[in-house]
Parts: sequence; structure tokens; C-alpha cells
Amino acid sequence: MANKRVAPQPGRKPGVVKQSKKTSSSNRAFYLLAAGLGVAGIVALTYQSTRGNSVTRANPVDTTLPPVKSEGYVIGAATAPIEVVEFGDFECPQCGRFATLTEADVRTRLVNTGMIRYRYIDYPLPMHGNTWNASRAAACADEQGKFWEMHDAIFANQDRWDTQATSKPDKLLKQIGGQIPGIKADQFDQCVDTKKTQAKIQAHLKIAEARQVGGTPTFIFASDKQTEGFLTYDQFKKFVDDAIAKAAKTPAAAGGDTAKKSAPLTPIKKG
Amino acid sequence: MTKRQWMALISLAGLFLGAYLTLYKFGVIGQLACNVGSCEKVQTSRWSVFLGLPVATWGVGFYVLMLTLSIAGLQPRFEDSRRLSLVMMLLAGWGVLFTAWLNYLEAFVIHAWCEWCLGSAAMVLLLFILAWLDWRATPDDSAFENELASQS
Repeated sequence: MANKRVAPQPGRKPGVVKQSKKTSSSNRAFYLLAAGLGVAGIVALTYQSTRGNSVTRANPVDTTLPPVKSEGYVIGAATAPIEVVEFGDFECPQCGRFATLTEADVRTRLVNTGMIRYRYIDYPLPMHGNTWNASRAAACADEQGKFWEMHDAIFANQDRWDTQATSKPDKLLKQIGGQIPGIKADQFDQCVDTKKTQAKIQAHLKIAEARQVGGTPTFIFASDKQTEGFLTYDQFKKFVDDAIAKAAKTPAAAGGDTAKKSAPLTPIKKG
Repeated sequence: MTKRQWMALISLAGLFLGAYLTLYKFGVIGQLACNVGSCEKVQTSRWSVFLGLPVATWGVGFYVLMLTLSIAGLQPRFEDSRRLSLVMMLLAGWGVLFTAWLNYLEAFVIHAWCEWCLGSAAMVLLLFILAWLDWRATPDDSAFENELASQS
């Protein structure tokens, strides 16, 4: 490894040898290795960023659209003691896990029994290329009173239409929506194609930003306790129990007096 | 391979890791490959931005600096420089403290782990250990001068 420098150097006395630590041959091997690593890294990054994942095509906040008023989608009785708000992103994997694993129990045991009223507000995150398409499609289903059915179907089929799966999500979302019983497919398709619900999603995004929601899913229990990330049913229930207990003590704390009375409760469909 | 060569390779790998997370943060990469932890939760949390820039971007800057220093340290002019070893050790030490803080946030505030962040933390720690060993192994220039003086 070490070679000896015998040539006299300025400031050092001739004849004195100092051990040098590296040799040119080991340097050559190193530079080859570094170049290999460099090329591999650049190839990997280029591959990752050109997989049709670019969100520039899919972050369509259009400031020229006239603002509409919308505060998300509500399910549950207006008389429920508390409201739980979810800020969700249809393409976020944790939201998908919550929707497919936990939400069925939340609806049958908490919403349908009148313990809570549940509100879903879109918070499309910029790194999810197809999430706006999904939010718009869900809003289109809402026009026919089928939001929750579409919500469940979108999450159940997340891997079919997400950024990894396709660069043309509308086609798949129309397929998924068209299978919802009772939906008028023509009307739904036209709504998706014309992006007419765009302003509504922008209104939801504004609420999320105003509340400084960090990530998805974020749950807010009775306008008070806020938590981020996947919850099991037991964890969710604990937050609900605490919020109800608190609301019972201070009735003013129970949130959501603006809630609209919602349509008959639909249990979540699995798969 | 010498310690500085290892440091350069680790910094280069770290640079790509930081670039990967930065590209995700700026929306160029749509989804993170994340099998174990909850990268998205960490990367979309409010803690993923530091002084207006994504934490990952700061990481890129750190690795670029470490890479430059360790490659400089391979050149004949600096290969025996103990001062350079000291600078690298202090820089890596700062990196260790910063990632320790980030790991603390992951564990106790965000309650989620991002495997890429953990990988970067391990690399920073390794860089610090190598820099420390390198600093210990590099002969002190003043000792060398003293040796010269005693021989004259």
C-alpha cells in the first residue's frame, strides 16, 4: 500500500522519508468502482423518474376556475355526538389500508349506530400523479349520490389505477365507477371526461391547507384531537371514546354543527 | 481500499439516496419504493422540510461536501493532511447529530420509520467512524516536523 516519497520537498529535509498512505494502483481500482457506482446511480434515478410518474401533468390546480363551496362528504346522523373528519388522498397507501381494513368496522359499529358522523375531505398530495383523477371521479359519483360506494371502490382497486399502474387513470376509474350498482354510466363518464368537479376538489384542498394538515390520512376527532397515519379499529375507537367523553363534559366542543343530514347509511363493501 | 476511498464511495451512494428522496419531494418521482416502513408518512410530514428546503436536499449537500473532501483527500497534495481528516470528522459528526435528531422525530413524533432515512443515518454514522479512524491514523504534521527537527 504505502510508497516512499524520497524526493526532497520544499520545507522538508532531503533524505527524510514519510510514509504515504495510498498508491496509484489502488486509486485506479477505486476510481473504477466509483465510476461504476456513479453510472448505476444515475441509471437507477433516471429509471425511477421516467416511469411515467411525473406529477406535472397531474397537479392541475386551475386558479381561473370560479371557486365553489364544498366541505367534503358526510355520512352519518346529524344528531351524532361528534364528527370525525378524515383528510385523505385516494392514492396514499396508508389511506387505502385504512379504507379497506378499518373503515368497514367504523361504518357498521360507529357511524350506523349514531355514535359518530364521518366526513371525508380530499387532500390530494403533489407526489401522487393520479390522485386528482380519483378525487374528481369520486366527486362525479357524488353527483349521483354514490360517493361512498365510489370511495370504497377506488380504494379497493388502488393498485389498478395508481401512478405505478397507469398513466391513463380516467379510463380505469370510469370502469370502476361504471360497476357501481345504479350509477348512470354515461353521465358519470361525461363528468369524468369534462373534469367538471375540479373546482370542488380545489375547495377541499384549500380546507386541508388552511388546517395545515401534514400528511394523509389525518383524522380530526370532534374538531379537537388530530392524528396522522393508519389506525386500527381499536385505535380509532379509543379516539372516538375519548372525544365523546370530552364532548359530554363540554357540549360546545362537539364539532360539526354544519353537517348536512346524509343519505341512508351504506355499509362498506369489501374487495 | 483506504478509509478515504471508502468514505468517497459511501458519500457517493448517499448522494444518490438523497437525490432519490429529493426528486420524490419535488414530485419528479411519483412513489417511493418502501417495503418496510412508512416512507410517505415521514416524507410528507412537516419535519421533512428544514429551513425551507427538503431535509433530503440538505443531505445531498452534505454528501457532495463529504465526497469532494474525501476525493481531495486522495490527491497527493492532501493525502497526508491531518487537518482534512479533522474537517471530515467534524462534518460527519455534525451529520450524526442531525440524523440522530431526525431519527428521534421518526420514533417519537411522527411515529413512522422511513427505511431510506435509516439507510442514510447508517451511512452518516459509518462516515463518522471512518473519518475518526482516518484522523487517528493520519500522522500529525507537527509531529513530523518535530521529528525532522530532532534529526537535524
